[in-house]
Amino acid sequence: MPERPDAPDLLATARALLLESLLPALPRERQLEARMIARAMEIAARPAPPAATVLAGATAMIRAGQADPGEPAHAALLAAIREELRARCAVSDPRAIREKTP
Amino acid sequence: MARLSGGAIQQNWGVEATLDSAPQRWVLRTDNATTLAVSRSRVEEFALLRAAHEAGVTVAEPLFCCADAGVAGAPFFVMRRVAGTASGHALAKAAAARGGNTALAAAHGRELARIHRIRPPRAELAFLGHNDFIAEMRARLDDAGTPRPALEWGLRHMERNAPPALPPVLLHRDFRSGNVMVDGDAVTAVLDWEFAGWGDPYEDLGWFTARCWRFGQDHLEAGGIGPLDAFLAGYAAEAGWTPDPARVRYWQLGATIRWAVIAADQALRHISGQERSLELALTGHMVPGLEWEVLEMANAGTP
Repeated sequence: MPERPDAPDLLATARALLLESLLPALPRERQLEARMIARAMEIAARPAPPAATVLAGATAMIRAGQADPGEPAHAALLAAIREELRARCAVSDPRAIREKTP
Repeated sequence: MARLSGGAIQQNWGVEATLDSAPQRWVLRTDNATTLAVSRSRVEEFALLRAAHEAGVTVAEPLFCCADAGVAGAPFFVMRRVAGTASGHALAKAAAARGGNTALAAAHGRELARIHRIRPPRAELAFLGHNDFIAEMRARLDDAGTPRPALEWGLRHMERNAPPALPPVLLHRDFRSGNVMVDGDAVTAVLDWEFAGWGDPYEDLGWFTARCWRFGQDHLEAGGIGPLDAFLAGYAAEAGWTPDPARVRYWQLGATIRWAVIAADQALRHISGQERSLELALTGHMVPGLEWEVLEMANAGTP
């Protein structure tokens, strides 16, 4: 078993130090860089989403019109795309989903 | 000479010079070491700036161009320096604080209409391509190599719902807050012409008004600056025709797809090692949220 605290804990603790202690001491023109570093740490601390194998071949299907409204594959493919996207947004940009739901 | 705030691709240098004993304030624009393949050369950007200047678009007056990379390490051109700022976030914040800046939104509409008055064929702009939007986006997705079904979904939606094409005009293709220099309620210079091409004028209208370019002020549909109708009224006053808001929304979907494609490509520049940069890396993490928005727009009965 790896020594605790684990990676997400370390990143969260380091990020808090950066934002709460270091950021206010930085000159204004360098604060954006500190915020970018904090954002990278926030994303890196989240677990990676699983690979979505169900979407293999989706591009060709969509381009060929086989997932258009009225086609049998339409609803199932749309649901699969949403599920995969929800998992990726949860890591990269959780607010994108909280704002609106398709 | 001093480095000014520039884009991810180009460098801008402020130049204080003396010409016939008169002091001059100029901007020298040149390339970063690595440049997006789809970006125009400095020589071509200079030709675009001249055409825009002649058409009455508010731009920094283009002065000289040097195609010889031996002089400064890369081709460059020099334009007159103009007053103002071009920070999308600061402008949106200031506009929102006063409930939207109708005058500035209209001013942006007028500028875009002036750009669109430039129509092909133009011998000095022969390097510009005609843009088939959907085909171009699919090709770029294929080149990038990562399947993005949500963007495919949006492109197929656009293909199925495509309105009849308008005669092509000069598109700026990056006309958004942050690429337009502003002083008070006035536009002082339209910047960053390197993505220009011929195409449907609505593409630029959608780009300016898409949610991804409202800098957090979602309720100010015209670039986070003001209401959509003020922007379109400004456009109509200069263009002589009034854009259809439904068709603008169709191209807001196009804008969101295109920004997602560009953002993914920017991340690839970091991942491939071509240009290691935290800013590019983080831009890649904007893509899933943009894909989500595309799916939402494509399934919301967007015309």
